[in-house]
Amino acid sequence: MLKSRTQHKLLIANRGEIAVRIIRACQGLGLDFVCIATREDAASGHCRLALETAGERALYRISSYHDPNEVFSVADESGATAIHPGYGFFAEDHRFARRASERSRPLVFIGPSWSVIRDLGDKINTKRLARRLNIPTIPGSDKPLYDEIEAEEIAEALFAFQADQGVLRPVVLVKASAGGGGMGIEEVNDPDKFRSTFRRIRNYAKRQFRDEGVLVEQRIFDFNHLEVQIVAERFGKNIVHFGTRNCSVQSLGRQKRIEVAPGFAPGDIRYAFDAAEVLESITNHSLNMAQEVRYDNMGTWEWIVTPNGNPFLLEVNTRIQVENGVSAVISRLPKKPCVDLISEQIRLGLGQPLGYDQADISFDGVGIEYRIIAENPDNKFAPWVGRIDRFSWTDKDWARVYTHVPLDRPYEIPTEYDPNLALAIVWGRDLREARERGGMFLDSLVLEGRNLAGDPLQSNISYLRAKTVDLLMF
Amino acid sequence: MDIEKNIFELRERLKYIQDIFGFKENDNVVLLGAKLQELTDALPGLDAAEQVRQLTSLEDLFAFLEKKLERQLSPMDRVRIVRHPQRISLKDILEHVYDNFTEIGGQDEYSVDPSMLIARAYITRKVGNKVHNQSVMVIGQEKGHGQEFRNGGSVKPWGNAKALHYMKVAEMENIPIHAYVNTPGAFPVEDYPGAAQQIARNIYEMAGLRVPVIAIFSEGGSGGAEAIGLADVRLMLSHGYYSVISPEGAAAIEGRIKPGQKAPTELMENCAKRLKITAKDNLSLGFIDRIIQEPVLGARTEHFDFFRSLRQEVINATDEIILNVRGMNYFRAKAIMRQKKSPRVNAENIFVRWKLGGPARERLLWKRYQRFMAMSRHAFLDRRPVGRKCMEFGLDLGWSVYSFFKYDFWRKHQKKVSNLAEDVGAEFQVVFDKCLAPARRLKAVFSRTNDEPNGNNQCQLTQLSPWEKRESDQQQGYISPQARKDRAVSCPNALVHGCMDMWAPDLFGEWAGVCIHCGHHFPMEYDWYVHNVFDPQSVREFNAQMEAINPLGYDGFDLKLEEAKRKNGLKSACRTFEARINGLKVVIAMLIAGFRGGTVGAAEGEKFIRAVERARKKRFPLLAYTHGTAGIRIQEGTCGVIQMPRCTMAVRRYLEDGGLYLVVYDTNSYAGPVASFLGCSPYQFAIRSSRIGFAGPGVIQETTGMPMPPHYHSAYQALARGHIQGVWDRREMRKNVYQALLTVGGRNLYYR
Repeated sequence: MLKSRTQHKLLIANRGEIAVRIIRACQGLGLDFVCIATREDAASGHCRLALETAGERALYRISSYHDPNEVFSVADESGATAIHPGYGFFAEDHRFARRASERSRPLVFIGPSWSVIRDLGDKINTKRLARRLNIPTIPGSDKPLYDEIEAEEIAEALFAFQADQGVLRPVVLVKASAGGGGMGIEEVNDPDKFRSTFRRIRNYAKRQFRDEGVLVEQRIFDFNHLEVQIVAERFGKNIVHFGTRNCSVQSLGRQKRIEVAPGFAPGDIRYAFDAAEVLESITNHSLNMAQEVRYDNMGTWEWIVTPNGNPFLLEVNTRIQVENGVSAVISRLPKKPCVDLISEQIRLGLGQPLGYDQADISFDGVGIEYRIIAENPDNKFAPWVGRIDRFSWTDKDWARVYTHVPLDRPYEIPTEYDPNLALAIVWGRDLREARERGGMFLDSLVLEGRNLAGDPLQSNISYLRAKTVDLLMF
Repeated sequence: MDIEKNIFELRERLKYIQDIFGFKENDNVVLLGAKLQELTDALPGLDAAEQVRQLTSLEDLFAFLEKKLERQLSPMDRVRIVRHPQRISLKDILEHVYDNFTEIGGQDEYSVDPSMLIARAYITRKVGNKVHNQSVMVIGQEKGHGQEFRNGGSVKPWGNAKALHYMKVAEMENIPIHAYVNTPGAFPVEDYPGAAQQIARNIYEMAGLRVPVIAIFSEGGSGGAEAIGLADVRLMLSHGYYSVISPEGAAAIEGRIKPGQKAPTELMENCAKRLKITAKDNLSLGFIDRIIQEPVLGARTEHFDFFRSLRQEVINATDEIILNVRGMNYFRAKAIMRQKKSPRVNAENIFVRWKLGGPARERLLWKRYQRFMAMSRHAFLDRRPVGRKCMEFGLDLGWSVYSFFKYDFWRKHQKKVSNLAEDVGAEFQVVFDKCLAPARRLKAVFSRTNDEPNGNNQCQLTQLSPWEKRESDQQQGYISPQARKDRAVSCPNALVHGCMDMWAPDLFGEWAGVCIHCGHHFPMEYDWYVHNVFDPQSVREFNAQMEAINPLGYDGFDLKLEEAKRKNGLKSACRTFEARINGLKVVIAMLIAGFRGGTVGAAEGEKFIRAVERARKKRFPLLAYTHGTAGIRIQEGTCGVIQMPRCTMAVRRYLEDGGLYLVVYDTNSYAGPVASFLGCSPYQFAIRSSRIGFAGPGVIQETTGMPMPPHYHSAYQALARGHIQGVWDRREMRKNVYQALLTVGGRNLYYR
C-alpha cells in the first residue's frame, strides 16, 4: 500500500553532504522531510538547511546516528512514513531495512529490499551468484576453504594462470574469509611457501574470528576500478544503467579521491585493449545480474579491470554512492533539464514507475568529481581537524559543488565524523576539456583555516591537481 | 537408691520429649511435666520408702507414655529426633558396634572437613576356636552431639572428596564399606570442587566400586545422602528419614518463601507428611531393604541394646551381599535367611570371609546395577499398548544382536584386512611410480605442445566450484514466538558494556538470542535447538508416551502436573530422540525448562536411562541437552532422588562400554541432575550466560549465612572450577557439537 508521493514524509537518517542533497531532492519533489542531528553536528549545513526550509519541527536531536532504536522513535514521533539511509550508517544494513519494513508501523525504506541487501552484502555470496551467471570474478575460490590440499590445488592453478597471462611476478592472496578491513590477509609469491602461509592464516582466523575458513585469490596489480550505476523500479522491474565511472584514484586506505565518468575514454586515449568493448561487457554483465536477483532501487556494481583488459566483478554496493553526481552530470534524459539520481532514487523508492527506458538515456561528455578533504596526502592521508575560516571558489556553469560546510561563517570540523568537506563536479565536452576545467576549478578554490595549535589547514587540493593530469590512463 | 540422680534422669527424659514434640501442644507431654513437678515439690516431705515408691510409679508412667507418644510421632517429629544433639552419632556407633577402630582422615576439628568422619574398623568374630578380625571402612557424616565445627553433618565438597578417596582405598584393600548417612544435605558452596561437581563424582565412582557397600540411613537429606549412599544394601534406622529435600526446604519452595523469612510450622509438618520421608514409607516404596528397629523415641547414646542389634544387622547385611555373589554359599545363605527372620540368633556364629575374588566383583556390580534399575518403576506411566511394547522389546533385542555382530565381531576382522590392504597398496604404489616415471615425463613434454592451458585454467578458476546449497540458504524451520513481536530488547549488560537495544526479530531470529555486542545469551525455546542444531527432518522421537505422574499422591500436585502437560504439550520434562548432525546419528535426551522447571522425576529418569541404553546398544553418541533444570522434582520425594544414582549408573555403564557422553547446559541448571548424571560426564559444555550450580542463591544464604558472591554460578566460574570443559556460543552450537562428536569420546562408536 503506497500512498501518493505528496502524502509521504521522509526521514533522512544521515548527516553532512548527503543529507543536504536529500533535502534539496525532497524540495524538488515537494516532499515533507525530517532531519536528525547530534549535538556535535549542530553547526553542520544540513541542520541549518532543514531549519531554514522546514522550520523547527523538521529537525530532531539524537545522541547517535548509529542507534536504530533512536532513529525509529524519531520516525514514530514525527510521523515519517519513509526513511532514506543516505550512504554509510544504515545504508547497507539489511537488518535495519528489514526492521523498517516489517515493524508494526512500517516505513518505506528508500533502497533495495532487505533480502537483496543481505544477499549482495556478502562478498562470497555475490561471487557465487556471479559465477552461476558466467560473470567473470577474481580468479580463486568462491567459498571458504577448510582443506589444505584443496587450497593448494587452487593456489597452484592460480600461479599457472598468472604465468600464462604474462604476469611477471605472480602473487596469490590468502585471506581469512571471516576477516575484513585488511586483517588476516597475506600475499604468497612462492608456491612452496603457500602451505605455511595458509596454515598461519587459518590459525589466525580460528583465533580471531573463530572460523577457520580461508579464501585464496589472485592478487591483481595496477588495476583500474570501474563502477556501473544501476537503477531499477520497485520489485525489480525495468532495470537500466546510468553509465560507468572510473574510481581508480584512491588513497592508501582504498578511499576514493577522484571519480570520472565514463569509465574509459576510448575516443581520447589509446588503450592496450578494446576499452569500448570492456565497458559494454561490464554494463551488460551488471544488468544481467541485477535482473537475476530482481534488484530494485539504486546500486553500483564494482569491477576491476586488469592492465590487459580483463574485467572481474569485485562486489555490489546496494546503496546510493557518494559519486552518484558524476554519473548524473553526463547523463541526459528527454524532457529533463538535468538528471538527479537522488531524487530518482526517492521517487523509485516510493514506488513510482521509472517512466523511461534504456534507449532514452544518453551520455554526453566527461565528468570529474573531486572529494575535497582536510587531510595531509604526504603523511598517509592523515586527517586534519580544526576551524575553517574561508571556503570559496569561482562559480562556473560547468562546475557544481556540494557541501555541508557553511560558507558565510567559520566552521569547526567535528572530530566525531569523517573530515569530508565538499564534493566538486566539473564537466567538459571531452576528457581534455574536463581535465582543463578541473585544473581551473582547483586553482580557483580557496580553503583556509587554522587548528588549535595555530597550524594552517591542510587539504588534498594539491594531490587532486597532480592526479588530474593523467586521469583515465592506465 | 540415689533419688536425686533418678529425678535428674527423668528431667532429662522430659526435656528430650519436649524437644521432640517441639511447639506442639500435647496432653501427654503436659501430663508428664506436671507429674514430675508434683513429685519434685512433694519429695522433701516424704519418707524414703514412699519416695522410692512414687519415683518408680512415675518412671513407669514415663515408660508407658513414651510408648504412647511413639505411636503419635509425626514425620516432622522424626526429623527433630534425628537432629537432636542426644541422637547417636557415628563416633558412638564406632565405639559400640565395632570392636576396634582407628579414625583416619582427620581428628576432630583438625580435618579437611570435620563433618565427614572416616575410620578403619574391625569386627571380631569367634567361630569355634578361631578368632577372625574382619576389617571394614566406615564412612559417614558426623554430627558430634552438637559440636559446632561438625557443621551439623552438612558436608562440604572437599569432605565428600575425602570420602571418595577412602572408598577407593577400601576398593584397593578389598574390604567392605559401611556408610552411615546422617546429613541434612550437602553444604552448598561452589569452590574447588563445587558441591554438585563432587557429588556427581562420588556417585559416578560408587556406581563402579568393586567392594560391597552397605548404607545405613539415619538422616538422608538429598544430595548429601546420595554422595555416600549408593549401596548394595540400604538399611534404615526406624526413626530416620530419607528424602529428596529437607522439609524446611520443601516448605520454603511450596510456600514461595523469600530469603530471610521462615516457613510456617504447619506447612513444614504438612510437607514432611506429603513427602513420605519415614523409614516405613521408604521401605514400602522399595528404596531401602530393611528397617533397624530403634528404642522408643529414637536411639540415644545410652541405648546399648540398640547398638547390639545394629551390629547384628550390619554383619548380616554384609554377609548377605557377599554370599549373594560368591560361589559356595548354600548353607550359610540359608542360615542367614533364617536369621533375618528372627534377629535373636547370633549372626556372628556363621563365618563369611569379606573378601571378593575377580568374578564375584563383576557379579557384585551387575547385581547393584540391576537392583537400582528395578527401583521406582511404579512411579511413572507407560502408555504404550502391549503390542507396541513387545515390538520395541524385539527391536531392542535385534539392535543388541546386530551391534554385537557388526561392531564387536565383524569390524574387528574387517579392520585387520583393510589395514593389510592399505599397506600392500602403498608398497605397490612406490614400485609403480618408479616404473612409470619415464612415461610420465614423455607425456608432459607432449601435453605442453598440444594443450591450451590458458583457456583451461581461466575456465577452472573463474567458474563455479560445484554448486551446493549453503547453510544460510536453508529456510529457517523454526521461528521463535519471541521473534514475532515488534519490540526492542535491552541487554541486561547494557549499563556495563553499553549494548544497544536490539530488535526482537533480529535477536531471536538471526542472532539466536545472543546480544551481538556483549554476547549475553537470552533464553530461547528448546525447539530452537531441535530445529537448528540437527539436520532438518532427521529428528525421530522415542518413548514419547512415558508420562510423569504423582506417585506419592502429593496434595495438589496432580493439578499442577496437568497444567504443565497441557501448556507444553509434553508428557514429561524429558524429550528423547534420535537425530543427525551432518549425517552423524546421535541420541539426544533433552531436559525442558518449561515443564515444571525441567525437574527430574521417575518418568524423566526412566526416559533418560532408556535413551542411554539405546545409545549403548546402537553405538551412538549421546547428547544430554539441558535446556534448564531446577533439580529433582520434590513432589515425587524419594522416587525423584533415586534417579540420581539410577541415571548415573546407566551413564557409567555406557561410558565403560566406550561411548561418548556430551552434556550441554543452557539457561539455569541446578541441584540433583547436575550433581549426578549430568555432572559426571567427562565432556560438559555450557553456553555463556548459563548458570550451573548446586543450590539457588536463597538456599546458599540460608545455609551458609553469607550472601552469595556475584557470578557465583556463572558458566565461567564453573569452567574455572573445572566442572565444565568449555563455554560455547549458541550461534555456533551445531558446529561445536559436530566438532565434539568427531574429536572426543570413547572407542566404541559406530562411526569410529
